[in-house]
Amino acid sequence: MKIARNIFILALTFAFVWPVAGQTIGDFKMDETELYAMTKQMGQFMRRFNYEEDQFGERLNPKDPRYRSNEMRRQSLPILFDQEKYGTQTELQKYFIEDVTKGDSTYMTFLGGRWYSEVSATFKYKGKDVNIMLFLAVEKEGLGSKWVLTNVYFSEFNKLFPTGEIAEKEKYFLHPMSHELDFMNIYKAFQNSDVIEYYASKEYQPDYLTLFFYEIKQGNLVFKHVDSVKFHVLQIKDWYFEVSWFNRSGLNSGWLMSNVIYMPEKEKYNLIKFYQP
Amino acid sequence: MKKILATLAIVLCFVGTALAQDELSFERKQAIDSLALEKVRDLSKYIKIAGSKDTPFSEANRVIDRAEELFMSDAEIGVSSLSSNTITYYRVRKYFEHLMRLNYDRVEIEWYNIEYVSDLQRQPDGTYVGVITIFQTFRGYDAEGNLEYKDTTKKDITVYVKRKETQIGGRTIGFWDVLLGDMRVKETSNR
Repeated sequence: MKIARNIFILALTFAFVWPVAGQTIGDFKMDETELYAMTKQMGQFMRRFNYEEDQFGERLNPKDPRYRSNEMRRQSLPILFDQEKYGTQTELQKYFIEDVTKGDSTYMTFLGGRWYSEVSATFKYKGKDVNIMLFLAVEKEGLGSKWVLTNVYFSEFNKLFPTGEIAEKEKYFLHPMSHELDFMNIYKAFQNSDVIEYYASKEYQPDYLTLFFYEIKQGNLVFKHVDSVKFHVLQIKDWYFEVSWFNRSGLNSGWLMSNVIYMPEKEKYNLIKFYQP
Repeated sequence: MKKILATLAIVLCFVGTALAQDELSFERKQAIDSLALEKVRDLSKYIKIAGSKDTPFSEANRVIDRAEELFMSDAEIGVSSLSSNTITYYRVRKYFEHLMRLNYDRVEIEWYNIEYVSDLQRQPDGTYVGVITIFQTFRGYDAEGNLEYKDTTKKDITVYVKRKETQIGGRTIGFWDVLLGDMRVKETSNR
């Protein structure tokens, strides 16, 4: 089964990445096929997704009939899936390709919004190495654009604001006539720091990015290094997918779709809120 | 002389296009890609010369000077390996000096015939930014000619493209100035 799958990937890639390239210099035998097949940049992922470049990686002129051709996309899209996870002809993959190459097909654009970068990074926090996920989005500014921080996920921050039981939350409030007593009872709100947020409005949402900036400014969090990067794409109608870096040999490597989920537009709201509150 | 001719060629390519352009046409993008690729090919050549054990010290230093001229003054080179996520940062000169000091009797540095050029995006000040990806193989041998180390690295090189103007014979001529920026060097599993 695995052999058949590999043959299929090989055929698929050769059809798309053609011709097989190689060079011999001195003792080197350099086969470039794998490197041609590799989706080398996130920008290349987008170009391949939209079919805006040919099989040699050359940018297509928008006047070229092949530019954004859905027929070509149907051929090239399978190589953008992580084949180790999705195989080559799963129902999900077929359904995805069919859906995004329909008449009213959708394309990925750099400035189209609703795609986020997740940067997993190591910081020093209270003497220990900790992992923090940074979320970034492309924002238009001035004459161009830039990546901006939109949110962070740090387990220590989330522990500070656990999702409490409603019954438990209802025990903590300042009664509506507190103002007549000069808020003499407000001290109760500060007696137990674990539940201080229960005294806030029901609309209240902790702002983790501000907490993160605060800890950096206080010198409690010190950046060490980036561990990995991936992208969350919600730009395509009714679909969510992740694009991750696969550093491996073979004909299915580089930036590939690692998690593909059918997600109607109205269900995307909470996820977008997480990446960009 | 070669440099003057190259600059002149760049200028002549764009005579009559003195006005800054917001949207680059397909043909202009291709022309800028070529300019950027020239710089990257120069860099590849310099890395090969400086890394070679046959290159005299004075020649290697001259090459490093030329390499530094390709880059923005604050450019950094971030290097990581398959075994570690930690990125070691070098300034351009330090990177080349590190390359020269590698403890092998003979090294072979070759470049794959793949140059991938990204789309150009504008940053807030209007400068265009792109990334060119190239691949290099490195092999280090001991005195007996035994292969001691080999790797294939992916090099992602930032390219800054800015519209500039100059006066030639009283005329204002526009041209595209291309400089290299930060370079990310990552070991790949492709051997």
